[in-house]
Amino acid sequence: MVAYKRRRRSFPRRKVCRFCADSNVKIDYKDPKLLKYFITERGKIIPRRISGNCARHQREITTAIKRARHIALMPYTTIQPH
Amino acid sequence: MRRYETLFIVTPDSSDEDLQAVADKIKGVITGMNGKVASYDEQGKKSLAYNIKKQNRGYYVLMDYLGHAEVVAELERNMRLDDRILKYLTVKLADQVDPATVVAEEPKPRKQVDETEVAAEEPKPREQVDEAEVAAEEAKPREQVDEAEVAAEEAQSPEVQESEEEEKKEE
Repeated sequence: MVAYKRRRRSFPRRKVCRFCADSNVKIDYKDPKLLKYFITERGKIIPRRISGNCARHQREITTAIKRARHIALMPYTTIQPH
Repeated sequence: MRRYETLFIVTPDSSDEDLQAVADKIKGVITGMNGKVASYDEQGKKSLAYNIKKQNRGYYVLMDYLGHAEVVAELERNMRLDDRILKYLTVKLADQVDPATVVAEEPKPRKQVDETEVAAEEPKPREQVDEAEVAAEEAKPREQVDEAEVAAEEAQSPEVQESEEEEKKEE
């Protein structure tokens, strides 16, 4: 229990979904500048529990990233460091 | 009719004539099957996130059009056959669109509205806050704090040394 509590304390801020907070921002696969905030340096999609997105917008982000990858606007993976 | 959007990449070593030829060919495919091209936007040469057919750059073209599902099938078949086109992606934007209404409602007015709203909303609060903060920081506290800190440091340093010495003695 103690360890669990400590872990929770290290993330005190409950993030709000930025797309719910600002409805002007539209999720579009043609906008890699926006989408790159939701991938890691390796190019993996950041999970919802870390990005703080709501389920609906995380789903939109995911499809947008996958589309952007298909058309080479975003990488599937970055070159692996040896 | 449905509204589709196709983003495709043309080989980087193609000339302006090649790009024009590709545009004419693709538009011809759509109009030939009773489709309607709403917009054809050449976005210019961009670098690719990964190599496609050993190319690391390409001309991106975004095309917005109306048509039935057969139009998309025929268009993609043509794109697959054409060596100048590296890759394509088709997305359905809307079902059951009336072709007469579409050309009138081009997405330009929306963008203008967005830009003006952003311009009006964003800068004001930021600037005010910045100026207030800067003014508050610069005016009085810095000099006072600096003097106080220096004085405090000078005062403290001998004490610290003394206390350390005392600790050593105690040990």
